[in-house]
Amino acid sequence: MSAPERADVVLGSVPKLGPLYAAAAGKQAAGWRRRRAVRGRGPGAPEEVLRLPAVRHVVRGVAADPGRLAAYQRLVGDALRDTLPSVYVHGLAFPVAVGVMVRADFPLPLLGMVHLGNVVEHSRPIGVGEELEIAAWPENLRAHRAGTRVDMVVEASAGGVPVWRGVSTYLAKGIGAAPELAPGEPRACLPPAPTARWQLDAATGRAYAAVLGDYNPIHLGVLPAKALGLKRPIAHGMYLAGRVLATAAPNDCGYRWSIRFEAPVFLPGTVEVALGPHNGTVDFEGWNAASGRRHFAGRVGALPPAET
Amino acid sequence: MAASPENTVPQASRNAAGGVRPAVVIGGNRIPFARAHGHYAHASNQDMLTAAIDGLVARFGLQGQRLGAVAGGAVLKHPRNFNLVREAVLATALAPDTPAYDVQMACATGMEAIGSLANKIRLGQLESGIGGGVDSTSDAPIAVSEGLRRMLLELHRAKTARQKLAAVARLRPRDLAPDAPGTAEPRTGLSMGEHQALTTAAWGITREAQDQLALASHRNLAAAYERNFFDDLITPYRGLARDANLRADTSAEKLASLQPVFGKDLGTTATMTAGNSTPLTDGAATVLLGSEDFARQHNLPMLANFLDFEAASVDFVRGREGLLMAPAYAVPRLLERNGLSLQDFDFYEIHEAFAGTVLSTLAAWEDAGFCRNKLGLDAPLGPVDRSRLNVNGSSLAAGHPFAATGGRIVATLAKLLHEKGSGRGLVSVCAAGGQGVAAILEAR
Repeated sequence: MSAPERADVVLGSVPKLGPLYAAAAGKQAAGWRRRRAVRGRGPGAPEEVLRLPAVRHVVRGVAADPGRLAAYQRLVGDALRDTLPSVYVHGLAFPVAVGVMVRADFPLPLLGMVHLGNVVEHSRPIGVGEELEIAAWPENLRAHRAGTRVDMVVEASAGGVPVWRGVSTYLAKGIGAAPELAPGEPRACLPPAPTARWQLDAATGRAYAAVLGDYNPIHLGVLPAKALGLKRPIAHGMYLAGRVLATAAPNDCGYRWSIRFEAPVFLPGTVEVALGPHNGTVDFEGWNAASGRRHFAGRVGALPPAET
Repeated sequence: MAASPENTVPQASRNAAGGVRPAVVIGGNRIPFARAHGHYAHASNQDMLTAAIDGLVARFGLQGQRLGAVAGGAVLKHPRNFNLVREAVLATALAPDTPAYDVQMACATGMEAIGSLANKIRLGQLESGIGGGVDSTSDAPIAVSEGLRRMLLELHRAKTARQKLAAVARLRPRDLAPDAPGTAEPRTGLSMGEHQALTTAAWGITREAQDQLALASHRNLAAAYERNFFDDLITPYRGLARDANLRADTSAEKLASLQPVFGKDLGTTATMTAGNSTPLTDGAATVLLGSEDFARQHNLPMLANFLDFEAASVDFVRGREGLLMAPAYAVPRLLERNGLSLQDFDFYEIHEAFAGTVLSTLAAWEDAGFCRNKLGLDAPLGPVDRSRLNVNGSSLAAGHPFAATGGRIVATLAKLLHEKGSGRGLVSVCAAGGQGVAAILEAR
């Protein structure tokens, strides 16, 4: 929840991601990271050493573009409906959250951050014509065995009532790492029988970027990915989530879903996917058949009628 | 065009007291099934369906007659064949004022076409009809890529030169590659064989059991040809007089020597080979149905009554059931409605999409857990007497031109029942999209 001491920064419009990434790259190149970040295990837990800015970035009057919405729905294999898929709402609001993460007083470097997962409550179907107020803020800075984690919270409201609330968790590697938090032996992933197989071509990241504007270089091509230390480009986590939800999310009521990301999906690549019923929800998992490494796992389920 | 004499209002019997009357299977005709890119490589769906109907018309002396309707379809169908069956009818010896319509329900197309015609006959809406289907994987439609298609449509909508240029500029080199139809399920990306491999593994069906079923299919089909069973069910076409896929001399050793083709990366031993899976096939099959009055008036045989049929679907997308397991659900509903048990049949025609499909379905019906938890039954449906299963061969030997399989099965079963002179037959056909159709025929 938004803490009362947060100051609202009201923006005139949703910022463009390209310039935000450029700003982040400039900031990191200027050695900002060296000055502000705590390398290794510092004198205290990250939440004691680092300070998150006590702000909410707010944009009012945000609406879906029907053409972009259709392109998104096609991309992930959903039907052309007049309601917004959950990941499309995320895409609408994502630049607002990134705007917070490139602020000078945001203590972690944006580029190179690892997307760990999302928990989203999509309270009710959101019509394509609805005007949304988007608010984004950071919270819950905490240690991770490999660095520092932070939650970026995004809330979309219609008529003053929240209709979509998502928490994206990111990891800034190497900053304030707490190796003692490491789990024991890595759990062997015993994949279930697949129910689907996705053949993702090399352009998958560019296609998602073209639709939702997330031109993070790690998704675009071999050279930009290599520049950020990856051997090949990787699929957007939210593209993977979007494809699962196109199949598994209910369309006539509110729902809650979560996903956690493990091994990245290198492009081009093949992902084995399993969807399975679990006490009224659908559990899902994606993995690489050759390596046996799990890419993601999560759950989606309708909200009880009382909550919708 | 002047109405043919048959287009006038007939003096047909009225359906007594609002009940239903029997729909009778009079006979069938198909062309031999060919392997893809073989004998029928240059024949279109329309060509093959025309040949199958014309053979049926010739066999029963229906030249120049108006039938109630011709229903059928093809699974792999180009949009220009929007009236495939009607166009075929116009090329046959049937009266040109015979109505026709297309049906499409993947591999259950033929069963749905025949079943719905039978229902119209039972209700007294039709006196006669031909149902069936056709498929060609050799003459399959090839589409332009999604990118090229969208570009062409955008170009069509563009009004100004600038808009037209913008539309063309969106084209990428890879958009120029054509898009051929595949057997992958659109929602899962897994081929039908891969889906079945999952089900086959889940039910623990062995390689040996699958090969044994395939061997029986070839032997039974060959024996049926040997005793001239198909003489009045098949019309030779383009130099082919028997199903080209039939291997009368195959053996358990030969089948055992084949390499697995599906389910190779499931972590279990792959068991599905080209020998115990159906090949891509070309062919067409038709069935003539009528009321008893129609058959008597035209002095035609009455082989069997098409008693009832039932469709079912399963949720394979969210992992609740295997892709091809829908008939396992359709059959018990059909049995319940007709007050029959699974053992009340003299013949079982279970379409052999894959040997694993048949064996998984049989295993499910014998499994108390499946019957209780998935079907809601107190007791399992029980076993099927294997000596009554696909006694004249099925798709593993004959091949499986998707929409033609229903017509092949219904004609074969009706003749089998008529030969025996009593009893019932059960049909089970699985289909893409997690669908399936089951039907009951009764001897006459």
